[in-house]
Amino acid sequence: MRKNKKMLIFFFLPAGLMMFMFFLIPAVKLIVDSFFKYNIADISQKSFIGLKNYMDVFTSEKFALCVANTVKYVVGAVGIEFMFGLLLALMLNVGFKGSQIMRTLMLTPLMMAPLVSGLVWKYLLSDQFGIINWGLCRLGILDNAHAIMWLSDPKVSLISCILADVWLNTPFIMLVLLAGLQGIDPTYYEAAQIDGASTIKLFYHITLPLLRPNIVIVLLIRVMDALRSFDVIWAMTQGGPNFSSEVISTYIYKSNVRFGQVGEASAMAVIFMIVLLLLAWFFMKNVWKLNED
Amino acid sequence: MRKSLKRLVPFLVCLIFVFIFLFPFLFTVSTSLKQPSDVISTQPRFFPNPVSIQNYRDMFAYLAFGKYLANSLIAASVSTIISLILGSLAAYGLSRFHSRLSTFFMYLTLMIRMIPLVCISVPIYSVINKIGLRDTHIALIFVYASIGIPFVIWMMMGFFDGIPRELDEAALVDGCGCFGVFFRIMVPVSINGMATTAIFTFLTGLNDFLFALLITMSGTKTVPVGLSEFLTEYNLQLGPMAAGAVLFSLPIILISFVIQKKIVKGMTMGAVKG
Repeated sequence: MRKNKKMLIFFFLPAGLMMFMFFLIPAVKLIVDSFFKYNIADISQKSFIGLKNYMDVFTSEKFALCVANTVKYVVGAVGIEFMFGLLLALMLNVGFKGSQIMRTLMLTPLMMAPLVSGLVWKYLLSDQFGIINWGLCRLGILDNAHAIMWLSDPKVSLISCILADVWLNTPFIMLVLLAGLQGIDPTYYEAAQIDGASTIKLFYHITLPLLRPNIVIVLLIRVMDALRSFDVIWAMTQGGPNFSSEVISTYIYKSNVRFGQVGEASAMAVIFMIVLLLLAWFFMKNVWKLNED
Repeated sequence: MRKSLKRLVPFLVCLIFVFIFLFPFLFTVSTSLKQPSDVISTQPRFFPNPVSIQNYRDMFAYLAFGKYLANSLIAASVSTIISLILGSLAAYGLSRFHSRLSTFFMYLTLMIRMIPLVCISVPIYSVINKIGLRDTHIALIFVYASIGIPFVIWMMMGFFDGIPRELDEAALVDGCGCFGVFFRIMVPVSINGMATTAIFTFLTGLNDFLFALLITMSGTKTVPVGLSEFLTEYNLQLGPMAAGAVLFSLPIILISFVIQKKIVKGMTMGAVKG
């Protein structure tokens, strides 16, 4: 037993040290920073102000706006991605000629760097040279090519970011659900069909219950990822115009790097981190069910 | 007749989605081959006419693309090797030497994976500064390796747990040390899983933007940071951006088609295991 512990520490130590250096020390520094006020002109001057930064964050209208935007972004993007992903997985699972090739081609968005995808979508959605507005105009949906200002209209900018996120991540949900579908034993369907069940009944009483583990997990992963997403939004709008597409992650970055509000940004980051870790803890306890032996 | 209709509808739906998924990239390729004045035409066309490589020339003139690509590749590949070695060793320890400590380490690793990187990016930057690694390749390599390690541990633990203990017990009886068991049994048996894990760790480093943006200066900039500078409020160079995006993404997309089995397996495994 003693020896086991020694061996465990021996094998874990190098990886543990790396994580300690670049995750735990920065996390501790973040927490410490959140209790100080920094002088914007001279970052080396700081004074302890206790929980003031946290009070400021909780009463800040901008932070509330970012939280609201983040929730909209996550619910919108993951919801649409799930619908399309499930639809595609079901369709591909039919196994028509060419379904293999189509699945492979659908991997394309996953292979592009999120930042590059964001830049490409910024160009596609441009209200001057963008092909999407031009196409909508040609189809007669819009009456002129500048009718929707995808990126510069505060009412639409968040939706544009969601659009790019949906394009980027739907294939992932499709893949995980398809893997689940392919694992379902076909004899279930055969038995139910002999009993005369309709296609819709098959879907509700066999497919959905058996696919449930995959659905739960893919939704959890996507929700955690979407909460943290930064690159796409940064490339497309940088949170603008006028904070209309600002999410928590871009706001933390901006407050820190652009506005030099280290204390407040740290307080926001600590709150965000705690919320995400609690969520993760809840998921791990209840859904992943780590085997503890 | 009914049967073929049953296949026709999925076929058509999937075809439409394949088009949607491919279109942005295909349009980027075609944009990169247009002549500069056509790129910013208010009457955009899909096919480049006439075809021109001026955008590629411009891109190379503005951007030290070769150097940035080398920076990206060095950071991503060296960090992958480091996190694969350290992560697999840790995973072996966690998989074979159970105790309350190992459960604690496992939770710690998972929690670390869940920390939003944007929260600790600036503190990481100050740690890098403190130890004097600013604007060095080593800084990016260390950061990417640290991000990769929790992922590698999690993936490899899944593979190692699937290897029967009788195998390592037999090797121990035959006089192998623990390292012998690791290198002669665990690694060869799970080499496929390691390759899959390596692909994803590599892609994470290659595609990172946040840390490269913060940590790198002129000397160690990576391709995503370079490309992002083409499209800002003050600077709008769509053609060269498209050219750079194609050169950066096309090889990865083509390779992914060849090794798609591994990629699909890695994604679904990583997902199902967490």
